Amino acid sequence: MIKVLAACGAGVNSSHQIKEAIEAEMKKRGYDVHADAAMIKDVNQDKLSGYDIYAQIAATDFSFDPEIPVIDAGAILYRIPAMAKPVYDKIESIIQEKGLA
Amino acid sequence: MANELFSEDTVYHTSKTTLEEIFDEVAADLLEKGLVNDGFLENLKSRERDYPTAMDMTPLGKDIPNISVPHTEPEFVEGTRLVPIKLEHPVIAHNMIQPTQEVEVGYLFLILNKDPNRQVNILAQIMDFFNRNSEEDLKAFLAMDDPKQIVDFLQGQFR
Repeated sequence: MIKVLAACGAGVNSSHQIKEAIEAEMKKRGYDVHADAAMIKDVNQDKLSGYDIYAQIAATDFSFDPEIPVIDAGAILYRIPAMAKPVYDKIESIIQEKGLA
Repeated sequence: MANELFSEDTVYHTSKTTLEEIFDEVAADLLEKGLVNDGFLENLKSRERDYPTAMDMTPLGKDIPNISVPHTEPEFVEGTRLVPIKLEHPVIAHNMIQPTQEVEVGYLFLILNKDPNRQVNILAQIMDFFNRNSEEDLKAFLAMDDPKQIVDFLQGQFR
């Protein structure tokens, strides 16, 4: 199972939307991806260590090295397939590159 | 579910010209109505400051104003509701995806969301609403002033 952490400011709407969209699309593409939604302020080194990919809406100012791939998932919020596709493609290429599947 | 999401008594039209003042105005009314608690206004402002919520609507290819979708963490609200706030004057906000970028917004959709696990994601529905409707229909909606008309229209569009 591939684990993705999606984060946004309040941990409610945006991150949940990203979480659901990533899980649904990656499942369609044949990958077992589980995503969690979190508040950016709760994202620390410890929390990130449990995940394979970090999906952010706006650039997160890390005070540490995330050590996992960070992707920009904001485009998913538009609900326009052509805008979301590059995000999913990026996730897929990370899965392939890192042999996560 | 949709008839719980909107209510005529939480439809606003403001002539204020800054987000802060608009938040002051609307939050006071929401507090009075018991829809939010004491910490709401402060959290709304600080969240918008740290994690802005303006959506640049350009990618939709329609001649419609940009919107913001301000919201707080669940602990500061007492219910789930979508609050349309029509802006008399465009207001400066910042892009959710690129927070350093200023965006002029013409309408706010304030989200009160008590339940983060709510099946019907409100933000997703807002964007679907803008994607699905024609520019003409959206302009007609954005021009509406009567709370009943606004609520009737939106109720049919959201779950």
